[in-house]
Amino acid sequence: MTRMRTLLGAGAAALALTATGCSGGGDADGPVELTFWHGYTEADGDVLEEIVEEFNASHEDITIKTEVKTWAGIDDTLLTALSAQEGPDLVAMPSERLPVYASRGAFVPLDEFYEGDDAAANLVPGAVDMVEVEGEKYGVPAGFVPLAVYYDTALFAEAGVEEFPQTWEQWVEVAERLTVDENGDGTPERYGVVLPDHATVANGLWPTLFYGNGGDVVEDGRAVIDSPENAATLEFWRSAIEDGAISPTGVDGVGADELFGGGKAAMTVGGPWMASIAAENGIDYAIAPIPAGPEAQAASAIGISMATTVDTGDAEREAAQEFFSFFLDEANAVKWSLGSGWPPLRTDIPAEEVASNPVVASLTEMADLGRPLLPGVVNSVDVLTAVDELTQQALAGGDVDALLAQAQADIEAALE
Amino acid sequence: MSASHPPVRRYRPPAPLGGRRHASGGLARRSAGAFAFLAPALIVIGLFVIWPMVSALRLSFTDASGFGREEWVGLENYVTVFTDPDILNAVVNTVQYTVLFTPAAVLAALGLALLLVNPHLPFRSFFRTALFVPFVISFAVAAFAWSYLIDPQVGLLNHWLGGLGIRMGNVLQDPTLAMPAVAFVAVWKLFGFYFVIFLAGLQDIPSSLYEAARVDGAGPWSRFRHVTLPLLSNTMAFVLVFAMIAALQAFDQIYVMTGGGPYGHTQTVVMEIYESGFRKLEVGFASALSYVLLAATLILSLVQFVFFGRREKDLSS
Repeated sequence: MTRMRTLLGAGAAALALTATGCSGGGDADGPVELTFWHGYTEADGDVLEEIVEEFNASHEDITIKTEVKTWAGIDDTLLTALSAQEGPDLVAMPSERLPVYASRGAFVPLDEFYEGDDAAANLVPGAVDMVEVEGEKYGVPAGFVPLAVYYDTALFAEAGVEEFPQTWEQWVEVAERLTVDENGDGTPERYGVVLPDHATVANGLWPTLFYGNGGDVVEDGRAVIDSPENAATLEFWRSAIEDGAISPTGVDGVGADELFGGGKAAMTVGGPWMASIAAENGIDYAIAPIPAGPEAQAASAIGISMATTVDTGDAEREAAQEFFSFFLDEANAVKWSLGSGWPPLRTDIPAEEVASNPVVASLTEMADLGRPLLPGVVNSVDVLTAVDELTQQALAGGDVDALLAQAQADIEAALE
Repeated sequence: MSASHPPVRRYRPPAPLGGRRHASGGLARRSAGAFAFLAPALIVIGLFVIWPMVSALRLSFTDASGFGREEWVGLENYVTVFTDPDILNAVVNTVQYTVLFTPAAVLAALGLALLLVNPHLPFRSFFRTALFVPFVISFAVAAFAWSYLIDPQVGLLNHWLGGLGIRMGNVLQDPTLAMPAVAFVAVWKLFGFYFVIFLAGLQDIPSSLYEAARVDGAGPWSRFRHVTLPLLSNTMAFVLVFAMIAALQAFDQIYVMTGGGPYGHTQTVVMEIYESGFRKLEVGFASALSYVLLAATLILSLVQFVFFGRREKDLSS
């Protein structure tokens, strides 16, 4: 009998363990504790931690506990956490990932917050576009920065380039001058620029180039990728990369970071973290806006949004909104910008407030160029896959018109 | 004093093990005891295998995203599985991968097992261990290591081959080479396991059979063909089925090395399941696709077992 009891005990213990795993939820009256998942791991993470600590110190009844994950890790664990009703109270994620979660009912609409908060009216409009799904706002921006060119100033000086190119033609010409193929084997030892053809930085390189020639990917919820403008853009860059060998082919965004960090490319298109990659590798760098295309000068923006999940009670929701107000107030907006290297999220912060950080200062100057990537598009996965398949095959020599028609059909199917 | 005979002992059979009480106990009582012993395993399997399977089956008939609201959609997900061109592409890729991976892994494992079963080979244990090591490494780690080795810009392998005047190019971005490359990494990673199984199978073959064959004048090929292969057929069936299941579930190294690219050329069924579930939050559809994959795997495994079972019957008759 003893044995039987032990076995039953073990079974009960196992059940108890499972049960405790499922319990949770907050107490409406007592102090509120919020969990906050984010992926800021560098200097930006330290500043965010500081802001959270100050918030905790100034709010006796609210404690925010941060959990640092990688951005990809957040995407991989949020679904399982939500399905166990154990989702974090607050979560930060790449903005183009927000609509799919929001449309499936993972996040709480924040229209109330937008009506009541002073800062909300002054937020960068493009950043707010990225948290809006089917007419409702499901998030608060945590970052919004246009893609920019990060370049190696020493290599520029060595090649005698004095001014950063302003147009596509000049950009290609400078890239050709910076490309070095000493042994003449057709594979340069150093490339003038690195232009990934898939999984580009924040998926934004090719949308950026499309904008330059007056094209786009999705406009007002309709697929518009199959246009003569986009065909011309693809032809232009294919010939530049093929004839001038100014960029390696088949590279992705991470590979581009590595090539620039390793001194194997003189220019790269990226985000504020390129500054720390350059610094780590002892590269003297400068930041310049994406050169203008024939029709426009614009850049796809990298966006990060914060949202409140549905696994929160009323008290937690209120506390979360209080944190958003705190995070976006003037002092913290400046602090966050200076510490993270991202331009301020509020349009009413004067440029001189962030002048002390040269990276932020130059990115703030070009903030107007930033366009939100696929705002409100729920199935951004399939749209971005279609763009990747298009650019990869087009740069590999595929028939541009047929590829654009295919991409158009794929994106139309994704938007259905 | 008269001599007396020692008392004759009457034979008494030993008491049955476990006591008489149990032997005479009812069947119900005995199975209750058995269930009590099985309970811990049953609870774990029930909670972590059976229940998720049942729950996934239910989800496959809904438009669930894993949380929030969900609606019954009947067979819609299954219809999509069989009509979506992306899924068809993934199936074709998975078949391609299976055809590349399974024979290569099995032949490599069998070949090396035949070589290393020889007791006179020097450093035999060292080689055996060395060949098994890749199997112990995490698949993701192995995939990262290989991506760096064959990287066209910073890869060691490219650097060495470049010294010999051989240009490998950007293998993982080449639509014709990407699939062989990810299959190769899987062969490298997994063949050690099959190798050990073959080794055990080979050591089970009595050496007297080889001696008899040799006496009858059988050469090495004959001995392999008529002694080794027939007696290895059970092992072979096991290894083939396992290798095929591993191939149908290809995911880890593809996720790490190519992400399904270049333009969908290494997108396998499991990659498609992952993307539907975790990227598009279409958990209902991902569950349906998982069930179709499960059914396909079961059918293929059964076909193989039946085939090998019949061959064995032929041999023994």
